[in-house]
Amino acid sequence: MRILLAEDDPDLSRQLKSSLSDAGYVVDHAPDGEEAHFLGDTEPYDCIILDLGLPKIDGVSVLERWRRDGKATPVLILTARGAWSDKVSGFDAGADDYLTKPFHTEELLARLRALVRRAAGHAQPLLVCGGLRLDPRAARASVNGEPLRLTSLEYRLLHYMMLHNERVISRIELVEHLYDQDFDRDSNTIEVFMGRLRKKIGTERIETVRGLGYRLKPLPDEVSGI
Amino acid sequence: MAGRKVVADGVIASVWPSFRGRGSLVGRLIRLAAIWFICALILISAGLTAFFNYSTVTRFQAGISDIVRNLYTHTEFDAGGRIEIPELYNIRTDDIYSGLYWQISELDAADRVVAIHRSASLAERELKGPEKLDKTSGAPVYYNAQGPRNQPLRQVALYLRIQDRPLLFIAGEDRSEVDRNVGQFALITGSALIVLALGSLAAIFLQVRIGLRPLFDLTDELGAVRSGEKSRLEGRYPPEIAPVTEQINALLSYGQEVVERQRTHVGNLAHALKTPLSVLLTRAGDSPEPLADTIRKQTALMKAQVDHHLRRARAAARAQHMGERTPVEPVMDELAVMLEQVFRDKGVVIDWRAPENLAFRGEKQDFQEIAGNLLENACIWCRKRIRVTATLTHEAEGMTLLIEDDGPGMPESRYDEVLKRGARLDESAPGSGLGLSIVDELVRAYGGRLHFERSALGGLKAVVNLPANFT
Repeated sequence: MRILLAEDDPDLSRQLKSSLSDAGYVVDHAPDGEEAHFLGDTEPYDCIILDLGLPKIDGVSVLERWRRDGKATPVLILTARGAWSDKVSGFDAGADDYLTKPFHTEELLARLRALVRRAAGHAQPLLVCGGLRLDPRAARASVNGEPLRLTSLEYRLLHYMMLHNERVISRIELVEHLYDQDFDRDSNTIEVFMGRLRKKIGTERIETVRGLGYRLKPLPDEVSGI
Repeated sequence: MAGRKVVADGVIASVWPSFRGRGSLVGRLIRLAAIWFICALILISAGLTAFFNYSTVTRFQAGISDIVRNLYTHTEFDAGGRIEIPELYNIRTDDIYSGLYWQISELDAADRVVAIHRSASLAERELKGPEKLDKTSGAPVYYNAQGPRNQPLRQVALYLRIQDRPLLFIAGEDRSEVDRNVGQFALITGSALIVLALGSLAAIFLQVRIGLRPLFDLTDELGAVRSGEKSRLEGRYPPEIAPVTEQINALLSYGQEVVERQRTHVGNLAHALKTPLSVLLTRAGDSPEPLADTIRKQTALMKAQVDHHLRRARAAARAQHMGERTPVEPVMDELAVMLEQVFRDKGVVIDWRAPENLAFRGEKQDFQEIAGNLLENACIWCRKRIRVTATLTHEAEGMTLLIEDDGPGMPESRYDEVLKRGARLDESAPGSGLGLSIVDELVRAYGGRLHFERSALGGLKAVVNLPANFT
């Protein structure tokens, strides 16, 4: 397992590097954002540990560049700023997990294991509908190449609709597949999630068929373009 | 100059105390206008009536002075020195008490008026002479007198010495109609002017209200800023008020800038301290040595201290920061997406509901902190399910945020304990252990309340009340 450790503090880097090596990882170290970006861009890492307060280029920008270039390597961000706004901006940039300094080494190792395991799931076919793409393995979706930030219920909804592409799906069917049995199902649930999903993927992509349900469809120009 | 102004203010204040104080601006303007109007109108109506009276009486007097002139031009003496009755052709002087009279009289040695001839209309009555007689000028004297049947008369008397005899020619006419006319004129003028005054005052009131409209708008907008609906003044104001709003806006952005600076300092301090703490903690590792144990305990303590004091600094900065509003929906969405991903191995599902137009009256960072910590706590303790419900309260002044999980919950006796600084639900669980006390501190800073209940899902239900409204 190869890991990139991007951290500017020499003491912390040295200690983390030895702990990670002890745990069986091969560790490359980048002391600044520029080098971190270069290494992450060129080397096939299984996971990246990224400090947000890096010199030259800050962590969030580095992460944004990787994600823009289509790098899907799981990234764990380290931040000294424990504020939720910092965590949220890290996730917006494409992070998979975060850890607030100071942290225990065991916790870092546990998180790393989880990330690596997650990334190594079974390959499943990519679902496509026009500009919409959904990768069931990574549980990621994108629209026209832009990553979508979906909650799990929104993701489930989109996943089900993409599996049944261009078929009208009734509200009841959707509710049944959206929730486990013990969830309460109030009547306007589907409308709420349809509304949020439409906001994120574009209103025109989901058609309401009056009295019957909903249908996912590619945009007109996307159809003619193929 | 200033001294004179003070004196002037003093004079006004002594006349009308509320000019000094903080009486309403509208009231002041209207009172001033009213004083001016009432004085001006009294003067105008008095002047107009006097002028009308003067011109009417002058015209009226022309009639009687004609008679007097006729009297003396037609006065002849007979051989015996007696005055002959002049022939005057005026029907009204022949009808009894017709209201038009004349009289030729002679003054005796004591200047008493002795009537010689009178118009038939006088019957046996006499006209009175003037109270003071000017014997030198030979000009007619006009005066008011009482006539027969108590008629109010306007009389004219002309004193002449003819053939060395002191003669006094008097003519008089009933002036009651003139008096009535003048009275009527005064009444009409007065009432017209009162109507004008009332109309003008109403117009002034409207004008002042409309003219001062921007001031009232400004008050409303400042209220909106205070209550958090706006972050700055956006209305367009007339050039007289614009400088004030500009200054207020400058003040508001200065406040925001100070807060931002504080926050940056605070963040830098956190960053600067926490990395060395991480080094210490990593260095200590899980070594069983007593020194390592001390380091672990002390770093945890230092971290708690740093966090606590940074929050105090933030709270102090927040006090000057008003007018911000944070829509609830996007924050909940971000947090749900993020935390579901963090707890993906556990398969956490966050089902959140919030009205689209619900907004927290406060800063985004604070709301993220409140909701983020509670939600993270729920993620740690739940089995799979988390339900978040944000609703506007009935009074539409605040919102209730419910965060429930299906975990084991906690005994009621511990509900208050967990809000204390540094308390942790379970020492072995991950997380800072400060989360809930941070939330409680923040919620209190916004005048809200955090408490716990048992959730229908089985676990803990955190209930937060916060200031909010609909956008």
